[in-house]
Amino acid sequence: MSHLLILAASDAGPVAEIAKTFGANVPALIANAISFLLVALILKKWAIGPIQKTLEDRRATIAQGLADASRAREDLAVAHRKSQELLVETGVQTGRIIEESRAAAARVTEIENQKAIAAAADIIAKARHSNDAELARLKAELRQEFGRLVVEASIKVTGKILTLDDQKRLAEETQRQIAA
Amino acid sequence: MAWPKALVFLFGGLFLQLATVAAEHGNPAEVAATHGLPSAAPVIFHIGPLPVSNSMVLTWIVSLLLVLAVRLGVRTIKDVPDGAQNFWEWLVESLYDFLGGIIGAELVHKTFWFFASLFIFILATNWFGLLPGVGSIGYGHPTEHGFDVTEPLLRGANADFNMTFAMAMVFFILWTVWALQANGPVGFLKHLFGAKGGLGGFMGFILMVVFFAVGLLEVVSILFRPVSLSFRLFGNVFAGENMLEAMTHLGGAKLGWLTALPFYFMEILVGVVQALVFMLLTAVFTLLICSHDEEHAEDGSHH
Repeated sequence: MSHLLILAASDAGPVAEIAKTFGANVPALIANAISFLLVALILKKWAIGPIQKTLEDRRATIAQGLADASRAREDLAVAHRKSQELLVETGVQTGRIIEESRAAAARVTEIENQKAIAAAADIIAKARHSNDAELARLKAELRQEFGRLVVEASIKVTGKILTLDDQKRLAEETQRQIAA
Repeated sequence: MAWPKALVFLFGGLFLQLATVAAEHGNPAEVAATHGLPSAAPVIFHIGPLPVSNSMVLTWIVSLLLVLAVRLGVRTIKDVPDGAQNFWEWLVESLYDFLGGIIGAELVHKTFWFFASLFIFILATNWFGLLPGVGSIGYGHPTEHGFDVTEPLLRGANADFNMTFAMAMVFFILWTVWALQANGPVGFLKHLFGAKGGLGGFMGFILMVVFFAVGLLEVVSILFRPVSLSFRLFGNVFAGENMLEAMTHLGGAKLGWLTALPFYFMEILVGVVQALVFMLLTAVFTLLICSHDEEHAEDGSHH
């Protein structure tokens, strides 16, 4: 049978005549079907399939990105709120710490002032004591010197050589009178 | 003012040319009619026992070009598309959304590869068949009206009934597979012959007989779908190529391009429309057999 009889009709009749007119034949039909199927399968494997997958992946990525962005915005808002709360809390704590520090500093200052005053008073007392001791020593030296000068003056005025006892007695008398 | 003068010159020249053809060879329509496309695609060589027609050669060329275009365009798919990948993504996504809106998300996910391939292949072959040289370069003999190409090296793929019928038969096989997958063998028969409406008793029996008769008509309709699908596409493309050839001869050797030019634009449109019609009809046929009556009833109750 050289021509395809559509719908398996017999060689005779109008269908066979139509098939003959339009050149319908089995080998050409099969060859064309194979050509079309090959193209369809190649398009499916290399174009439609991968592109569909890419588009689906891209849709999923965009949806994921939007969801992530939304979640990030929510997280940002929460973080912002928490940071504001932390700032307020920190401000309060800082104020309290500053107040406590000021009070502590005032106490320390007071204590140190007292210590300084005490130390100053001690230093002054010690200085006075030292001055008094120095003054007494100087006065004693002055009396001794004055006694010695009186003895020397007496020796020179009287031309008399005084004994050691006289010198001692004269010096002591002079010192007593000066002290009086 | 330059354009009207040019148009007057152009159409004046065309009229003179037609008049010249008419004076030399008789009625231009008769001249054009002698250069019609043969209804059967001529065999131009054999590969072993397999006869290779000129339309099959064009099919292979288009297939090869399509494969090359696909490989060049989407060889390495990037997350951020550019160049040809943009085009392929646009085509696939547009078709997917378009078909999804008609046959539903579930069915389009399963059958999209076939309908998209069908559309792309038919469109590519239709448009490739419009290129100058297709149908006009080949073997022939000189006639009194000029050189008559009797065996062109290339012929529009869908101007060969074997091609359109092959596509329709491939669809018919896939349609059967999808229908059986969706309904099961028993459900498939019930879908065709089962009584709808849920009536019982005597009315139910009457309806059963009526729906069985309707099912028989439906089977005949289904069996003739490949024929109607293939002849519709073949007829449109074949008629278009004949018209282009007739218009080219009508204009003569010098102005043949001008008389055919408006019809080339129309054939570009026909190429898209026929690809769309073939794809849509096959998609709707698939939807009709794969959709369940219960779903329709539920959809109807929502509306």
